[in-house]
Amino acid sequence: MSSIMADLKEAGKTILKIAEKKGHDEAEAYLVSNKVLTIRLVNNAVFESKGVHDIGVGLRIIRGNMLGFSSTAGLTRKSLNKLVDAVASTAKARKLPFKYSFPKPRKIPKVTGIYDRKLDELPSEKAVELAYNMIESSIAHNKKIMDNAGVLNIVSYESLVLNSHGVSAENKGTFFEASLSATAKQGKNVSEGSEATAGRNLEELKSKNMGKKAAEMAVTGLKSQKLKEDTYDVIFDYQPTQGVISYLSYMVSPMIAKLYFPLFLDKINKKVASSQLTMIDDPLMAKGVGSAPVDDEGTPSEKQIIINEGILKKFVYDSFYGTIDKKKTTGNAIRESFAVGVSSFPGKNYNGEPIPFPRNPYIKPGKWKRNEILEDTKKGLLIRRFHYTRMTNPTRGDFTSVLRMGLYTVKNGEVTCTLKKSRLLDNLLNVLKNVNAVSDKLIVAGSWGDYTHTPVIRTKAHITPID
Amino acid sequence: MDEDLASFAVERASKLGTDYVDCRLEDHYNELIIVTDGKVQRGIINRKHGIGIRTLVDGAWGFQSTTDLTKKGLNQAVKLAFKMAKASSKHVPEPVKLASTEAQKTSYKTEVKIDLENIAFEDKLKQITNWEKRLHTSKKIIRGLVEYAGLKIDKIFVNNEGANIHFSNSLTWLSLKADSKKGSTTQSCEKVIGHSGGYEIYKKNDMEKTALDVGNKAETLSNAKAAKTMKDATVILDNNYAALLVHEIIGHPSEADRVLGREAAWAGTTWWAGKTGEKIGSDYLTAYDDPTIKGTLGYYRYDDEGVKAEKKILIENGVLKGHMHSRETAAIFNVNPNAGMRAITFEYIPLIRMSNTFFGKGNWKKEELIEETKRGYLVSCMRHPSIDDKRHNWTISAQEAYEIKNGELTSHLRDIALTSTAPKFFQSINAVTKTIDILPLPGCGKGDPMQALYVGNGGPYIRGAATILGVN
Repeated sequence: MSSIMADLKEAGKTILKIAEKKGHDEAEAYLVSNKVLTIRLVNNAVFESKGVHDIGVGLRIIRGNMLGFSSTAGLTRKSLNKLVDAVASTAKARKLPFKYSFPKPRKIPKVTGIYDRKLDELPSEKAVELAYNMIESSIAHNKKIMDNAGVLNIVSYESLVLNSHGVSAENKGTFFEASLSATAKQGKNVSEGSEATAGRNLEELKSKNMGKKAAEMAVTGLKSQKLKEDTYDVIFDYQPTQGVISYLSYMVSPMIAKLYFPLFLDKINKKVASSQLTMIDDPLMAKGVGSAPVDDEGTPSEKQIIINEGILKKFVYDSFYGTIDKKKTTGNAIRESFAVGVSSFPGKNYNGEPIPFPRNPYIKPGKWKRNEILEDTKKGLLIRRFHYTRMTNPTRGDFTSVLRMGLYTVKNGEVTCTLKKSRLLDNLLNVLKNVNAVSDKLIVAGSWGDYTHTPVIRTKAHITPID
Repeated sequence: MDEDLASFAVERASKLGTDYVDCRLEDHYNELIIVTDGKVQRGIINRKHGIGIRTLVDGAWGFQSTTDLTKKGLNQAVKLAFKMAKASSKHVPEPVKLASTEAQKTSYKTEVKIDLENIAFEDKLKQITNWEKRLHTSKKIIRGLVEYAGLKIDKIFVNNEGANIHFSNSLTWLSLKADSKKGSTTQSCEKVIGHSGGYEIYKKNDMEKTALDVGNKAETLSNAKAAKTMKDATVILDNNYAALLVHEIIGHPSEADRVLGREAAWAGTTWWAGKTGEKIGSDYLTAYDDPTIKGTLGYYRYDDEGVKAEKKILIENGVLKGHMHSRETAAIFNVNPNAGMRAITFEYIPLIRMSNTFFGKGNWKKEELIEETKRGYLVSCMRHPSIDDKRHNWTISAQEAYEIKNGELTSHLRDIALTSTAPKFFQSINAVTKTIDILPLPGCGKGDPMQALYVGNGGPYIRGAATILGVN
């Protein structure tokens, strides 16, 4: 056991004891040590290196029909006492109209490839060099590359759930998020390219390759043509498909769906996508970017099908929302604070109550090779990057995304030319229902702190040029 | 808070050989309540304290934060901040220079009449549950949602130039939202109320009536007609819609780090880089960023570099005048620093952020603006934005609009979004009203890791031209 985990355990036991003495029926402590090292790259240089080490605890209590939550940084006796007082005041306010109890202990499975000592102990100097490799390889790829910007986040965390029922679930992991945007210039033409990925182990970080890929995309954009507004057959490459998975994840969380994205609320056992689309959540996947043996309530992870061949089969649950909807927890508790002005770093956060959310979601790989999807497309577009994707009307599913870079024409199975910046304007349900091909391989893609395993899909979407 | 801890960290960092060091020692109290359809989704109190140490070594930035406020913890954090700056310095071609600023020694507080912690959490939750109930004006309301947040931040800023600034801030914010359904049409209406201050804002406003108004409006919207696409329509933007527009196409591109390409990785750059002093819009276009306005979410007197806050002129009569700066970007642009740096907590390195960014006022009355519009649309209340990386092309949806015919409001419209480019819209502005409203926007995102910060945005009513995107 690490010394950090020993500290977390000791503090957790202390909190449970204080809570018991105060007469609370049940208590649950979620203790976290979260370290983030960030190397930020701008204007072809290392702009800043920054570190965060956050240790704290989130405490939930049940007293009769009342539920309370509060959190605090630090594990001193003084802060823990204050925490127990604060949680009592939130519990007084929140009376539940139903009986609720924290999860009971269950056998915890093993998940491999989610902690890497080399990544955990990577010195900041090495991290700086790895990040800078992205810039060097981008510049080395082509003389037209004028500028590079990006980031490398390295995260290592340990968390522990202890509750009055005897749950004692440890979690330890590492991951990185790396991205680079390259800008190419030739005469008056300026074009961008980018590459972004995440992984659990240092060996997965191919920073030189990332720089090269970003530079390649930037250079191909230098000679681009204006797109004609139309509804096209579109191939969403890995990163745009990840954007779709991200929205699907919001919509299959009963809490997020009720509050913000209600599109699937009345759609259980109904068709929400083409039969080509199956969405799975598998936090047991080896090296999965969202994998862990337990969720943030200590419930064992399980693999589950959420959308099966286009039919929405279920929402994902933590114990609280499961109780509300009379379902069992599916082991999908994550912790995220919704409070304004509260930090939310990559890794583990103790300052939020559990919310139900897919933990390692992906679209099930299909039968197509990526190249075969391209070859099978007579007239369409290849979209390699989404930027600033937003639901303009979440109740209807209208959404838009800026196709900032990496947009190409596909003719008779070949990528023929690069297109200028454009905008996708369509409805997510239409896009999902029109999926007609899914690639056979998952890779990790995403942007700005949001990464999943994803294939490539082909669908239809309305695209318009922008000035 | 023990001010000596911050001084200790500064002293230790100076001894290690930093060119510059500053520390932010902070104590945070946050509360959050979310109620939907009579059910409490969240009822949370968070407390956090710690220190952020920023160092400049051999011309490069390093930063470390910690929640361990023991001398041992501080020593370790200082060493890491130093080490990281040193590591960065190998790949910094141009050493960072800081524009000079007067080292301030001062203490100030946000004016608070009712301290957030002096109202029992239980009482707040009862009130908020009651306001949520009022959103359900009829069976047509299929969902009500109230989100409340309160923050208290105690901050001590110390640097090795002698600055020592103590700021006690308090902020609160509340959103009321109702969704209505008629047939297959679902509509929503939202209103946000917030300020820098205490809980008194919810005593000042008749919240029950406000909630009823939101519910009624959502109901009315379900009877409205769907907007139809129309190119280059005359549009009058209300100050709520203008608040999001000014945020997205003036506020963000005015951040000097963005102008320099430093946010290119995710957020993007800006189309007006290098155009300072040039005419970029009509004479009616003026915009400011002003942190000194008391009672706003963006209020502060000193930024997170200890620079004294001032009203910044961003655009004046259509001419791009300047940007929001850090001490570093001010040195690059050879201007005075203007207090643009903020971080949401001690855990983050400060970035150039908006405070209160708003359109300047004109001479028109709102009624005159409508009366003198033969054919156009009054577009009200922001919904969702999607902006390109250069803040050039923009699309922002609105909650509702009214068609204007011969100076009168006629058809009520739903499902409307506007799109244009920033320069095209700026050139089209031909009338601006004389009354300004600054609204609370609590979740402005920037940086990696992301910092969601509270700002104020607003302006008067503005008439210009944009393409209407109907969504049916």
